[in-house]
Amino acid sequence: MKYVKKVLGEDLRQYTMVVALVALIIIFNIISGGKMITSSNFQNLLSGNAYVLVLALGMLMVIVIGQIDLSVGSVAGFTSMVMAIAARQFNLPWYLAILIALAIGTIAGAWQGFFLSVLGIPGFITTLGGMMIFRGGVIWISNSISVPVPSELKWFGAGYLPEWGPAFTGMNNSTLLLGIIAIAAYVIAQMRKFAHSGDVTGKKEEFWPFAVRIVIVAAVIGYATWLFGSGRPGTSFPIPGLFLMILIILYYLITERTSFGRHVYAVGGNKMAAELSGVNVRRTYFLTMLNMSVLAAVAGILFVGRSTAAGPADGTSWEMDAIASVFIGGAAVSGGVGTVIATMVGGLVMAVLNNGLMLMGVGADKTQVIKGFVLLAAVAFDVYNKKNKG
Amino acid sequence: MKAKKAVSLLLATVLAATMLTGCGGGRGTEETDQTDETPDDAGEEKPDDADAEGEESEDEETGETPSAEGGIVGVALPWLGTQNWAEAEVMFKEQLEAAGYEAIIQAADQKVPQQQQQIESMIENGAQVIVVGPVDGSQLGSVLEKAKDAGVYVIGYDRLLENTTGVDGIVQFGSVKTGELQAEALLQGLKEQKGEAPYNIELFGGGPADPNAPNFFTGAMSVLQPLIDDGTLVVVSGQTDFTQCATADWDNSKAQSRMDAILAGNYSDIEIDGVLSPNDGIARAIITSCENAGQPIPVVSGLDAENESVEWVWSGRQYSTVAKPTNALVEETVSIINSLLSGSGMPETDVTANNGMIDVPVYELPPVVVTKDNAKEVFADDPDRLALLKD
Repeated sequence: MKYVKKVLGEDLRQYTMVVALVALIIIFNIISGGKMITSSNFQNLLSGNAYVLVLALGMLMVIVIGQIDLSVGSVAGFTSMVMAIAARQFNLPWYLAILIALAIGTIAGAWQGFFLSVLGIPGFITTLGGMMIFRGGVIWISNSISVPVPSELKWFGAGYLPEWGPAFTGMNNSTLLLGIIAIAAYVIAQMRKFAHSGDVTGKKEEFWPFAVRIVIVAAVIGYATWLFGSGRPGTSFPIPGLFLMILIILYYLITERTSFGRHVYAVGGNKMAAELSGVNVRRTYFLTMLNMSVLAAVAGILFVGRSTAAGPADGTSWEMDAIASVFIGGAAVSGGVGTVIATMVGGLVMAVLNNGLMLMGVGADKTQVIKGFVLLAAVAFDVYNKKNKG
Repeated sequence: MKAKKAVSLLLATVLAATMLTGCGGGRGTEETDQTDETPDDAGEEKPDDADAEGEESEDEETGETPSAEGGIVGVALPWLGTQNWAEAEVMFKEQLEAAGYEAIIQAADQKVPQQQQQIESMIENGAQVIVVGPVDGSQLGSVLEKAKDAGVYVIGYDRLLENTTGVDGIVQFGSVKTGELQAEALLQGLKEQKGEAPYNIELFGGGPADPNAPNFFTGAMSVLQPLIDDGTLVVVSGQTDFTQCATADWDNSKAQSRMDAILAGNYSDIEIDGVLSPNDGIARAIITSCENAGQPIPVVSGLDAENESVEWVWSGRQYSTVAKPTNALVEETVSIINSLLSGSGMPETDVTANNGMIDVPVYELPPVVVTKDNAKEVFADDPDRLALLKD
């Protein structure tokens, strides 16, 4: 057992959801007769859930500071509707329409951040108001009618990496390149970590767990690369997935490596202590809410690209999916706890559940019930584990 | 520590399993891909496989061996919250299975992303034809194009599929015609029950996200507008635009609130004679609102022949409804599926509708007006509804 622990690092709790995710994928693959682990299904999984995972990235930070944002779905719906109308009725080029959507997301976030950080109104109330304002706004500006978006935008929600280069690789070369970059980046990061592993504690990490870890992760990335890259010609790693990857890396760095990230956790863990140690709590609140709404705008763009039209009901209850992902990923309701990677795993657990149950032909009603139980079970498991630790 | 050990053990097992099954799954994938996406040569060896090959046979009109036996058909419905959709679910299941197909029927709970993923999962499951009753007809663009790329036929059911090239045909009741029938029934009722003109009426439309809703309204207004202009009909609230009259999401409670507001604001000293209602749920909401406001029950039109409204028509509370027999629509859809999967392509039709990208063949069925006078005849073949017409 201690060998496994050495390979994975000390914190096993973090891996329980990963185990659950992998187990789900394997179980569904067996039940559905091999329909789960296919190129096209994995492509569907990513392009169909990228918007929720993007929202979950922002929601993680909101929950870590001890707040909640109920308005994200409505903000996503509103910004993408404005984008669609700008492009359709005012004939603006698609890139300007996207900039407008992002700008409106920023303004919406600043608005909510203002009420939370300056006026001190709890995030729950602020964003409940926002939810009504922006939902009403979508219906108002659209007259409840869906608005098609320019075909260029389809790339954001349903596009694939381009095909190029030699055919002998047997797969999409862009995806192959991406996979190679990912493996290389991981290996370099691990090597640097390994080289510095003794710097503080003076206890150098053993070499073999490090090597095994690299081989396992490289194999997983390699397999994923092959899976995404070897589908029907013309398909490959989906563009919304690419955006998601970039954002995951960005937010991983923000939360783990920047002073702003440390402030977020400090404010969430103990507001008073953070304030006394010189953290600007108001600024942290403001920026976190602002960031959430910008990500909501991004999620809206990805979704509308996939739908090819912005609809009046877009975003309905997306906030709930995002919040569920964050909590399944092990964040604490009281704030201060939660990581980007765990949140993504939580979101993927929900996505895989949804997808697998659909492949089995289970209806939306029962799927909803099962997802509810999974949310409860995951959080209960977490709470139980924490208690036993202490 | 025990718990930790157990977790580690589980972890190790699963990881090992991943590596093994993962690779096994990989090989399986290739096989599935081949059967799912049917390269042309596979289709030639087995013509009755009627897979992606069907699409090409349409163009070439080679007339392959017809065989309706077997085949997977996906049916994506928006939700099961109204009677017509709940009936459609049952009928599709019965009729598709009777015709020898494997049916995958899923309802999306009125959520667009859910429906997109359901359609994708049908493609994954190897559906050769997908019937789509959309939540929002314009928001399935890229998913339906994905179906088209995979060689799957897409048939729109009851609603137009807009803003996509991935649609092969639409089966629906003539929606403008439906609106005309509703308006004619309203006029007939007014003449029968409310004496001499002028009549005070109000107008209601359906959910704007449903492309049929504006058509119902347009059809109805083509009958009503001339009479509004010559003063026979008076829309007391002055709300005659579709956007003013629309009922978001076909939500009965929203219609009831709007009716409450109109009655409170305009009918304090006059009586309302008639209301144009786009469907039965909204019709009942309107009637309830009038009763609550102490108004005499106006002549109200409807649509869908829901059980409760059939009872109301029979008892005289609701003047009329329009039956769009779900059975007929499902039968028409299944006959198109038969034609497609036997290699004969889409049946001929002379009606097309532009969906914003392409002209889509439309298969229109005529709806039937139901009033108390003809209810027994209309439902003669429908034992469930006939049972509601008690003397």
